[in-house]
Amino acid sequence: MRKKTKTIQGRRGRSAFTTIRVLLLIAILFIVGLLLLASMLGGRFGTLHQLTLDLVGPMQSAVTSSVSGVATLKNDYVALWNVREDNKRLQSLVNKYLEELGEYREGYSTYLYLEELLAFKEKLSFQPLAARVVGKDPTYWFQTIVVDRGRKDDVLEGMVVLAPAGVVGQVIQTSENYSKVLLANAPSSAIDAMIQKNRTRGILKGAGEHGFILQYVLKNADVAEGDYIVTAGIGGVFPAGIPLGRVSRIHKKRRGMFQEIEVQPHVDFQKLEFVFIDPTDRRKILDSTNLSPRR
Amino acid sequence: MLFFLFWVLGLVLIVLQTTLLQSLPAWLGRPDFVFILVTFVAYRFAWIPGIALVFSLGWILDVVAGIYLGLYPLMCLLTFVILKLLTNKSPVKESTYQIPLVGVSYFLAQMFLYLVYSLALPEDLPEWSWGLTLQRTALLVVASIPLFLLFSSLHEYVLKRRLRAKPLRRPRKPM
Repeated sequence: MRKKTKTIQGRRGRSAFTTIRVLLLIAILFIVGLLLLASMLGGRFGTLHQLTLDLVGPMQSAVTSSVSGVATLKNDYVALWNVREDNKRLQSLVNKYLEELGEYREGYSTYLYLEELLAFKEKLSFQPLAARVVGKDPTYWFQTIVVDRGRKDDVLEGMVVLAPAGVVGQVIQTSENYSKVLLANAPSSAIDAMIQKNRTRGILKGAGEHGFILQYVLKNADVAEGDYIVTAGIGGVFPAGIPLGRVSRIHKKRRGMFQEIEVQPHVDFQKLEFVFIDPTDRRKILDSTNLSPRR
Repeated sequence: MLFFLFWVLGLVLIVLQTTLLQSLPAWLGRPDFVFILVTFVAYRFAWIPGIALVFSLGWILDVVAGIYLGLYPLMCLLTFVILKLLTNKSPVKESTYQIPLVGVSYFLAQMFLYLVYSLALPEDLPEWSWGLTLQRTALLVVASIPLFLLFSSLHEYVLKRRLRAKPLRRPRKPM
């Protein structure tokens, strides 16, 4: 009897549960249907839609940022593979361009130099003979250069050699095609010179790498550092007024009448490439004036 | 627990589908993860949690990617209901038929979607392509194999935990 009652109670419980489930299903279907209808028929992006989008949006943003970060990392890594090759290629290009740049600089520098020479040549009263320096003798006592002009070009011993900056020297030996020039700063060279500002004269002796020493200038002579020294024109070898250098230092000794003046040459004897030879035959002048050459 | 877990999983799949998959090259293909999940839910879930789950995921997808509001939830619901009716107490529910059925339902869903769009937006719709639809269906079938394995293991894991958590009832001693 009791067993039968339990079975009936169990059946009632089960049917009540089924009823609840069916009701729940109907309720859910109703809600879903309502939402669906509201979405489809209304077509409005309502509050619920907006809330959903606000929920999903940050997740999408996070994933997209991560993906793009990973993609950037991957791209950077892949790019590194090619960097070495690119680096080699670019390095060779840089070397090539640097070489070209060097050539262009050299060309431009030569152009400027030649332009300066041309301007100097046009300024001269005589028609100078341009010569290229083909050799240099670096010894102390006989500082000379060899130029590519000789007797064939009517170059004679004793002719004056000039550069745009001033006196270079004098032709001392000639051959058919080449000539040897004694530089003005050679210790064996001596030029009649004067201080440009007050015409005080002296003898400019070559001092090798140290330039010139102006000798035989009286202690009371007005001379200061920076004064210009030019050729005096005495003796007929060099015409007067050609620049020689600037006073760089003055030594006044206790004893003696003269002061010793160091002169910095205008011409850079180490960088001579082209020179001009004055074609005037100085020997004839010297012979006609019965003056013997100093050097 | 099961409902919540699969809801979160569905949300993650939607996010991945609308972000990560879109940034991948097109030739890799972009299978519809949510559709696969809907079919799985139809196979394994009861009516009430199934409808709630499928509708809410369809709703989210609708908000994130839908043009006509309500179309995605309707699609998900229809797929769920049809598959549920087909597989309920039927041998089709067996795992052998599950994957091919996913393909067939996806193919039909594509046709249905195209039909709806052709009624709503006939001028903006590209021409129907059998090749493309078949290609997408094949891709979905391929993608559904690992995803079904994942969903099944997750489902079983949760069920086992639930069983372990329930205390076993001892039979009453006879008086």
